Amino acid sequence: MKALALALKSRALLWQQQLPAGNSHLLVGLTLALVTLPQAVAFSVTLAGVPPHFGIYAAIWGVLFCAMLNPSPVFHGGPNTAMSAAIGVILLPTAAPFGAEYMGLALTLGLMCGLIQLLFWLIRPLGRMLDLISEPVINGMICGIGLFLIFRSLTTFGGLPVNTEVEWPLWIAWHSFLAILEVGNLYAIQIGLITLATCAVLQQFERLRNWAILIGIAAGTLYSQYLSARLGLQNTLIEQIGNLSAIRLVSPSVPAFTQDALPDIVAIVPGAVTLALLGLFQTVAAMRRMSRKAGIFTDSRKAIFADAASNCLLPFLSSLPTCASFNRMWLVHRLGIHSRITIAASAVLLLLLVLFFANAIALIPMPAMAAVIMLLGANMLNWEDIKPHLKNRREAVVFLASFLSVLFLDLFSAVLVGSFLAIAYSKWEQVNPNVSLRGNVLKIRGNIYYGSLPAIEAIYHDAIERIDDLIIDFSECFYIDREGVRWLAAAKAAHKVGFVDRRSGHDRRFEQAAPDRRAGEERRTVSATAPQDRRLPEDRRAVRRRERDRRRRSEF
Amino acid sequence: MPQLAGRLAKIALLLLALGSLYAVALHKHAQREEIRKAAVALTPGCTEKLGRYGLAPGKKYASSYVMERTGARVELRGYSEEDVRAIERGCNIIDDSQGALATDPWRERWNAKRFIRGNHVSCDHCHRGIGDLQDASGNRLPGSNSLAASWTMGDMYDRFTGLLLPYEMRQMQCYINSSNGYKPNVADDVIRDVTAYSRFLSAALDLKIANHYEEQGIDEIPASATLKQGDDYIRGEVLYNEKCQGCHGLQGIGLEVNGKLVAPAVAGPNSWNLQSRNNFYFVSTILAGFICRNMPPGQESTLQHQDCRDIAFYISNLPRPAGDRQGPVVALQQQLLMRVLPPLLRLTESSPSKSAAPAAETRAQPVLGHAE
Repeated sequence: MKALALALKSRALLWQQQLPAGNSHLLVGLTLALVTLPQAVAFSVTLAGVPPHFGIYAAIWGVLFCAMLNPSPVFHGGPNTAMSAAIGVILLPTAAPFGAEYMGLALTLGLMCGLIQLLFWLIRPLGRMLDLISEPVINGMICGIGLFLIFRSLTTFGGLPVNTEVEWPLWIAWHSFLAILEVGNLYAIQIGLITLATCAVLQQFERLRNWAILIGIAAGTLYSQYLSARLGLQNTLIEQIGNLSAIRLVSPSVPAFTQDALPDIVAIVPGAVTLALLGLFQTVAAMRRMSRKAGIFTDSRKAIFADAASNCLLPFLSSLPTCASFNRMWLVHRLGIHSRITIAASAVLLLLLVLFFANAIALIPMPAMAAVIMLLGANMLNWEDIKPHLKNRREAVVFLASFLSVLFLDLFSAVLVGSFLAIAYSKWEQVNPNVSLRGNVLKIRGNIYYGSLPAIEAIYHDAIERIDDLIIDFSECFYIDREGVRWLAAAKAAHKVGFVDRRSGHDRRFEQAAPDRRAGEERRTVSATAPQDRRLPEDRRAVRRRERDRRRRSEF
Repeated sequence: MPQLAGRLAKIALLLLALGSLYAVALHKHAQREEIRKAAVALTPGCTEKLGRYGLAPGKKYASSYVMERTGARVELRGYSEEDVRAIERGCNIIDDSQGALATDPWRERWNAKRFIRGNHVSCDHCHRGIGDLQDASGNRLPGSNSLAASWTMGDMYDRFTGLLLPYEMRQMQCYINSSNGYKPNVADDVIRDVTAYSRFLSAALDLKIANHYEEQGIDEIPASATLKQGDDYIRGEVLYNEKCQGCHGLQGIGLEVNGKLVAPAVAGPNSWNLQSRNNFYFVSTILAGFICRNMPPGQESTLQHQDCRDIAFYISNLPRPAGDRQGPVVALQQQLLMRVLPPLLRLTESSPSKSAAPAAETRAQPVLGHAE
């Protein structure tokens, strides 16, 4: 008996060790499912202009497919703000929202998006292009989306009708805020505030952090039920999630590819490209950011394949397209879970919830949901992540540009503006190599390529008129392109200059050995004037490297 | 211990912030309640109009207008005192959106001013006759942009976008494009009161719901209603300088005398924006129709159809704000044009508006007669 108890205890201990302290996969899955649900409903109805089950199926099947296909343990797919909004914008001129034709076209759009994404997987360089989004751009986008989510939820928080316009400029957020104060439904505001306060207070305690959102929603729902019991729903006018009983296990659908729809389909092809890029940008960016936070690495090609394959399948399950969700991945990270099983479990749990607990879910008040989304948005504004970017002026500019672009333009432009600035800055840095003239040595630090050559030439031609035995030292060049090679060859051919290129392991070790940089500098200048003079004992690898360098130099 | 204190302080601060937000909301709600309960100071135009239609609280309402015109007494469900106040506020908003006649514009016009950019636009400028234009003998005029006829069509499919637009959304579009302003929330009182007023108008005129009446919208002037010479903004400019510039000013920037609006801007920062359907490039028939019916004041219906189209074409070529969906680049470009062009033109052209201004003041009296 005692042995059995001991065995059970040890088994329990083992089980406990496998789970992170204070965490239960089930709890995290449930939290994720409950957080995804309101977003799924809100995105599909208010942004994409399709019935709520499109978003819910995306939150179920999209998340499940991504979890199965994408090896990253931090990835959470499902419906996405920017993609849903883009669908609404793209389809607006083709058909009336919520109509059969519109829904068919929405599915077609999703399928085309998936096929285009498949191209990004098949053509390697296209996929690599997505890696050009730098970290300040991603963090700027995250902060922008965080604020966007807060603003977006304001009207629902105050129990006011959502303004059904796709675009959401900042000033509308301000007017919505004023409207809440003046004409908002006070009961809705109470429910929202109770949810918000409960979540925010519980988040402060390490042990309760994972429970915060669930308890918050429960508190909001209980208060709303109390109000309904006392005053009646017809007097409080609280909007609830409502009837989800139409949702079945699988709801097959076929994208519209009829003769009639063909002109519309052709018209939305550019939209499909935008949609595909929008999804992939977010997927690659979010996954890279979150993987680094978790200290892991996943090949972005696999994520691209997962997205593309999911998006090719989802239109046949009446679902919106899927891509990474910054806010939910942030939540996954905060909950401290890195497990695909948990994420897949969240999708299955959501399915079970909407299948078997539709009645209970229907009671959840929308203001409580809005409060949770606002909290997610606030959590995305993380000062610890922003601070490093503000220390460097260039990074700060890139960060602010992408942050403001999300608020003033849209997500896609934010990516374009931010990436353009980041690339421009990095190119600009290479365009100005550090060229110094000491004695008869012209030392070039940086890159010799078509962009930097004019800057080098300016000093070179100035020097060559005054100095007869000019020596060009490109020991500290890390990249010379073909044009640079041709220029160096032409300079050599003029028989006026000598070259020093000591980009060998030997010299680097020599530099490391001399801690005083200036001393090393002087010594190298001396050796540059008489390259063959001083030599330190060297190993065979260094000799081989020297040989190789010499062969290269003989090109000039 | 200091960690716990810090955490408690954080929680306290958070609760304080949320609590004060709620307190502000309570205060604003109380203010709104007070305004909705207070008696409404009507503008002279509204006093006349609502008085003529016999608006008063009671169990039954019978329009004196209908009785006078047809002799039949049509009894409808009456209005509560709260309803009457809402209708009166709605009438005030239509007649004097900016609150020029109010002692406290922000309170009395329920922030209508907040949703309008610039200080010229009033609903009444397009919806003439406080949304119910009639001739001297009380006949309603076709194509007069009547709010009553607009209400009977309630939620209608938009002709240009094919979307189902509820009456409230249509009002929002007016704020966004025609006043180049901001979008009020659908539930805002500024929308509800105007809806109440429009609904009352349709009852007072005995218009039936879901019927189309000729008073709705504008009797538009398509190119096919002209001799098909083609629209020409040079001809339009000549006509504008001759007939319109006296009041609406050089470059259509409107005329204010001693801080009082005499003629509203038809271009420039105080005007409607590029996405408004008044814009000739967007819908070419509407502004022309409005000009032919309503302009110049005192000599209405003297312009030929082609003249109206030409003038509308010219006006739409003048710089005006960009629509809110056209993006920051177009907005910047239009702002630049609006700031740069008028002073440049003032330099290059000899301005006839200076000499015409005093004359314009007297001539413009009938336009805003009811608003004075």
